Amino acid sequence: MSAKQLALIASASLLMASSTAALAHEDEGPGGKLGKVSFPTSCAPAVQPTFERAVAMLHSFWYNLAEKTFSDILAQDPGCTVTAWGYAAILMSNPLAGAGASPDGAKKAQAAIDNARRTPPKTERERDYVEAVAAYYDDWANRPEKARQLARSKAFEALAAKYPDDDEAQIFSALYIAGTQSQADQTYAAYLRAVAILEPQFRKHPDHPGVAHYLIHSYDAPPLAEKGLIAARRYAGIAPDAPHALHMPSHIFTRVGSWDESIATNLRSATAARTASDWPEAYHASDYAVYAYLQLGRDDDARQTMEEALRYSGGDTPSPAFPYAAAAMPARYAMERGDWKAAAQLKPIPSKMPFTEALTYFARAIGAARSGDTAAAEKDAEQLADIHKRLEMAKNTYWATEVEVQRLAVAGWIAQSKGNTDEAVKLMRASADLEDHNEKHIVTPGRILPARELLGEMLLEQKQPAAALKEFEASQIREPNRFRNYAGSAMAAEAMGDKKKAADYYAKLLELSKKANGNRPELIRAKAYIAQR
Amino acid sequence: MKIAAFLVAACVLVLGGALLPAHADPTETDPDLAATDADYAAARKAIAANQWEEAIARLRKAEVRHPDHADLQNYLGYSYRHLKQFDAAFTHYKRAIELEPRHRGAHEYIGEAYLMVGDVPNAEKHLAALRAICLLPCEELTDLEKAFAKYRR
Repeated sequence: MSAKQLALIASASLLMASSTAALAHEDEGPGGKLGKVSFPTSCAPAVQPTFERAVAMLHSFWYNLAEKTFSDILAQDPGCTVTAWGYAAILMSNPLAGAGASPDGAKKAQAAIDNARRTPPKTERERDYVEAVAAYYDDWANRPEKARQLARSKAFEALAAKYPDDDEAQIFSALYIAGTQSQADQTYAAYLRAVAILEPQFRKHPDHPGVAHYLIHSYDAPPLAEKGLIAARRYAGIAPDAPHALHMPSHIFTRVGSWDESIATNLRSATAARTASDWPEAYHASDYAVYAYLQLGRDDDARQTMEEALRYSGGDTPSPAFPYAAAAMPARYAMERGDWKAAAQLKPIPSKMPFTEALTYFARAIGAARSGDTAAAEKDAEQLADIHKRLEMAKNTYWATEVEVQRLAVAGWIAQSKGNTDEAVKLMRASADLEDHNEKHIVTPGRILPARELLGEMLLEQKQPAAALKEFEASQIREPNRFRNYAGSAMAAEAMGDKKKAADYYAKLLELSKKANGNRPELIRAKAYIAQR
Repeated sequence: MKIAAFLVAACVLVLGGALLPAHADPTETDPDLAATDADYAAARKAIAANQWEEAIARLRKAEVRHPDHADLQNYLGYSYRHLKQFDAAFTHYKRAIELEPRHRGAHEYIGEAYLMVGDVPNAEKHLAALRAICLLPCEELTDLEKAFAKYRR
């Protein structure tokens, strides 16, 4: 827990003990500005404003502070047993991450639910909230997480149907419906059901933290992301003191390639996180900002943001956010600029999470292969093979697959450097196909370089511009508005003799790079091409 | 990699702190099921000790909670194979591959199981699958090729 969070928790306790008159004000009270939530209860009037703040924290996934706040409310008003609902909801953790409650959390939640059943809340509605969350914990140890999620979703749908005028019931119902979305379902049926509930609520409650937040999550898929822009643009302003609210909008901004917006919100997030000594969050936000700067050709800004982040130690936390960003930023800075020699010289950072080390070995190997040092590339490929084996032993299937994508790409570029062009394309295509079936992890704004974009670059080197352009354009669907993609697309079109398309892509590249402050050769070429027409 | 060797190596990794805690941070990575499910962890120990009935009993309990876990299905297939209950072994290996089509271990073991019952055409299907998956050299393909060589001697 960060210093700021501890301070906020302390302020929560103090406020609980003092007059609660001030808590009625939106910006004052534990957690700061959290948005507007109305959740009437039968609890003592003195705790009601704080109860609504706790619900607002729950909506912004600020679990540690919300847990403390619900506990404090119950201590002040022992009859306010509807707090069991909030407490148990927190212990289910992020309903959209899929992991669910821990065994210890499930025990604590069940104890709170049992207490509420012994001392029931005074109203039927409050009792129904407790029973709705209890559906998730019922026979918890003997059911798979998916079954628990489904039971939770059905229970809250029933709650929402029983109380059609209770907007909180509608909003939580939408959240838990979204929580049943399967990664394998490319129609995004559950997300869209949630959206159908949330959009009317958004019109009714434009300052509600949960509605904007859950809309962002429900649109967090490549074909839907554009529709999440309004909620993304609003959420950080609704709950600017909730750490998750500052960074979360950039998930949508990254999906749609809105780099200026991603930079703005991530710089705020990184600053807030540093103030709170929340180093993993600061690194995470900085990595998103560096990625965005590099797409705009703002290389100096990217370097400064990276150097500022790297001044601080990330500490020893179980979150991959710090080691991932610490390895990713230098790798991105070298590779997005095509500085293969610098990439080959990157220093691996030892980590308990080997997939973060893999980022550096991947960059080193591609850098070495593309600058002619095949022997060095092969050595780094061996390191990747070792990391892949360790991840498989640890049954870390997701990251083992990501490292396999990297290994295939590296093998492809090694083959390319040896002149085995057919083998190179075969391996690089296998890498791209595998990556297409493994969604990017939320720890990262994007892979160090998209595999299909690398395939396009390889085909371009092999003087197959039409095939290269096909891959570049396919890559744009999932990774839109990228500098290297537009540059590669333009060069491929130029090589094909498609002057109009080449001019269009060069123009897009120049538009994207209006504020560029690096010295990328692609921009010199783009300006020359446009000037000669 | 053979399952017994894997189990030893996995224990070393667990003790070395290489596995991530099973908390629900939104940025967490896949936790090993053995870290969160006592029956699954006990089953892996039983497999390492060649206690096949015990392994199956514990895996069955864990399966109730994790019906879509490819490794668990692979372990069930492996345990039934050691008891020479091939129909059950095939059922679980197929389920593992259905859940995770690139599961190299399941392809290797089901291929070996088909060879054990003399079903060469089906074994060859899994050899072909491994050749497609293992564009980079992998132990599972080498081991299945060795099993074919031994079968044909």
